[in-house]
Parts: sequence; structure tokens; C-alpha cells
Amino acid sequence: MRYSTFNQTNANPLGEPMFFGNPVNVARYDQQRHSIFEKLIEKQLSFFWRPEEVDVSRDRVDFQAMTDSEKHIFISNLKYQTLLDSVQGRSPNIAFLPIVSLPELETWIETWSFSETIHSRSYTHILRNLFSDPGKVFDDIVMNDQICRRATDISRYYDDLIFHTQLWQTHGEGDITIDDVTYHVTVRELKKKLFLCMNSVNALEAIRFYVSFACTFAFAEREMMEGNSKIIRLIARDENLHLTSTQHILNLWQYGDDDPEMKEIAEELREEALEIFTSAVEQEKQWAAYLFENGSMIGLNKEILCQYVEYIANLRMQAIGLDPQYNQTSNPLPWMNKYLVSDNVQVAPQEAEISSYLVGQIDSEVSAGDFGDFDL
Amino acid sequence: MSETFKVRVNQLPVIEVPADGSQSLLEALEAAGIETRYHCRTGFCGACRSKLHEGEVEYVNDPLAYIRPGEVLPCICIAKSDLILDH
Ligand code: FES
Ligand SMILES: [Fe+2]
Ligand SMILES: [Fe+2]
Repeated sequence: MRYSTFNQTNANPLGEPMFFGNPVNVARYDQQRHSIFEKLIEKQLSFFWRPEEVDVSRDRVDFQAMTDSEKHIFISNLKYQTLLDSVQGRSPNIAFLPIVSLPELETWIETWSFSETIHSRSYTHILRNLFSDPGKVFDDIVMNDQICRRATDISRYYDDLIFHTQLWQTHGEGDITIDDVTYHVTVRELKKKLFLCMNSVNALEAIRFYVSFACTFAFAEREMMEGNSKIIRLIARDENLHLTSTQHILNLWQYGDDDPEMKEIAEELREEALEIFTSAVEQEKQWAAYLFENGSMIGLNKEILCQYVEYIANLRMQAIGLDPQYNQTSNPLPWMNKYLVSDNVQVAPQEAEISSYLVGQIDSEVSAGDFGDFDL
Repeated sequence: MSETFKVRVNQLPVIEVPADGSQSLLEALEAAGIETRYHCRTGFCGACRSKLHEGEVEYVNDPLAYIRPGEVLPCICIAKSDLILDH
């Protein structure tokens, strides 16, 4: 079925499934099949922030005082997060927009992807402050073995879904041969790919960031790299919301009334979904090992970080109806929570470390005289 | 002593929580020394998700995290009766 940017079929949006129904035509929110997605849009917009609001200039001194192994930990994490947000800043749009059928979900996907682009921009903001030429750090992302290995796993489910959707939208269902390879394209196969892809994205949002987050907040516990930590807290808050959205989608397929075929597929591919999750957990543990290969940092080591990954993995697995797989039921890093609480993370104009508070305000030239008698 | 509800969490000894809604259920559990799980504390992340086996709660904020039947988000609800839950 060829994609149309304004599908003229008059479908009833309340009867459409989340994906693989009719393409969306009118972007209307007066009637909604799954109104949760509009609430997520509102929440995401209320979280809006800009990297430039956070002054990271003091981090430079802290960074220079770090040991080599700490520098390795810090920079490697930034590279990995850059990879994750590079993928997330485009892929939900490219993979899900061509097949989405509800306006509220379509707009959520766009809002979600947009917030990931803010994350990407913030890494450049952080690195520009630490290096006069951050180019080398970025260049290494596509050359570093450890990162590339993760990139393959993260992008393959997206790429597979995108490619088969393109085949279906240009050729329809059936056997399609391209460069001597024959692809068997059916909507059911596409739905399976969508299900696996959503599970992979869910695992990404659920656990892939948390080893890096824990390192950042461990530095913050020592009052180091606090500008950076402030940015990562804002990112963590966004990621939590993204995670809620993928959990909603997976649960709506399994428990809600959305698409009965997706419900069947969720049952059929339960083992694969579990496997996607546990292999993401294993990769994160390997990442922790790589980070600490030259030595650990105060307050953290590989073992405790792996326990933390298992602890949150259990929570995240239960949230999508999978059985928790790990023994770690108590939180080995209790101080993490205070950085993940949403109320503690307001970017306030009165905070001294914020250099340019411009949110909701017109960024224009104002002369001192314009303020009249105001004492600022 | 003001009115309280009796709450049993994870088969631990019963605790008492204020019945006047002055604390979220999560805060009440913490005040009683129970190890809690949470991130956002405002109802959107789902980290505090708990199973409610018996009793009634009331939400003071609109929950955004997915709640399956039998589950509650203690960070944004208050106890409305005696409770039995897994956290
Ligand atoms: S702590 Fe986030 S929903 Fe309760
Ligand atoms: Fe992100
Ligand atoms: Fe995200």
C-alpha cells in the first residue's frame, strides 16, 4: 500500500489500530482512540529545555583533574549516549511514521524524536566546553569497536522494519526479488518486525542509558562535573517518559484492545522479546566492563554497576509483562534515585550557574534603559 | 493520635499510615522504613508500580505510566482503606 501524506480514505480514527491501519489524514485530537499519547505530548512539551541554558563551563576544571581512567569512563559514556540519541533522533520518525494510523500517536512519535535531537545537541554543548576541538571524540564513534558493536544491535530491528515497509509500500504483499534476494512480504510479517523493533526500542529506553547515567551521577555525588550532571538529569527525565510510551504501546497490544493480530504476535514472539531484553542487559554489563578496564572510579565499580542494571531490568521487564530474570531485588545504588526524581530537576533562572535563561522569553536585544527603574 | 489505615507490604509486619491523605502512599511507606522503588515520583515513569491485593486507593494526580489491572502507582495515590500490597 503506497504511503500518502494525506490519505483521502474516510476512515473512522476511533476504529483504527495504532499501526498498519489507514495512514493518518487530518491531524485532529478532538477524538482519540488512545488519549494517553496526547498526555505524553503535553508532558514532553512541559519538559522542554535547551542545552545552552545549562552552564557547563566549570566542568572543564573538574575534567582536567580527572585520572586517565576516569576520563576514559566519562568520554566513552558520552560517545555511547551520542550514538543512542543519534539513532533515536531519527529512527522513530523514519520507522514508525509511515505505518502509524492514529493522529495522537503520530504526533507523539514526532514529539519524542524531537526531544532526542535536543539530547544530541547537548553532547556537542558538553564536549565543546571540554575540548577546543571535540572532533576527535565524534570521529571515534564510528571507529570504536565497542560502540559499533552496540550500534549494530540497536539499529538492526529498525533497519529491518524500515526496509520491509518500503518493499510493502512500493510492491504490496508477495515475493519481491531484489539483487537476487527474495523477500516474502506480508502484513503479518511486517507486524512481527514492528513488534520486535518496539521491544528493542523499549529495551534501549529502559536500560541502555543507565550505566552512563550511573557514572555521571557518581561524579556528581563527588561534586564533580555538575553542569554535565544537570544536563544528564534532564535527559534522564525525558528518557523515562519515552520509556513510558513504549511500555504503553507494548501493553496496549497485549492487554488493551488495539489490534487482535498484534495480541497474537505478542504471544507468539514472547521468547524473542525476552531475548531482546536480556541481550541488551548483557551488552550493558559488557559496557560496564569496558568502562572500567583501565581502573574504576570512586563510588562505582563493575560489579555494583552490573547489579544496578539487573535491578532496573527486573522493574522494566515486569512493566511489559515479562518475568523478572535477575536476583537483584534491592537497589544497590540508592543515591541514583535522587537524580531521577522529576521535581528536583527544574532549570531555574535564579540559579547562578545558568548563563542564559531564555525559555519562554523573547531573545532580543534589550538596552538597560528598557528596564526603567527595575532592579535586577 | 489521628486516624490511620493498616498497610501490609510484601508480607512484612503491618504498618500504619495516616488516613488524612497528608502523605502519598509512597511517602507513607518510606516514613515506615520500607525500602521503596521510584524514579520520577510524579506518576509518569512507572518505577514505583505495585500490586494492590486488597483495599482502595485514590489518585491525587493523573497517572501517565501504564497501569495493568490490580496495579497502583504509590507515588501519586493515597490510601483510602486498609491495604495489602506488593511493592
Ligand atoms: S515513581 Fe514514577 S510513577 Fe511513581
Ligand atoms: Fe535521548
Ligand atoms: Fe529516548
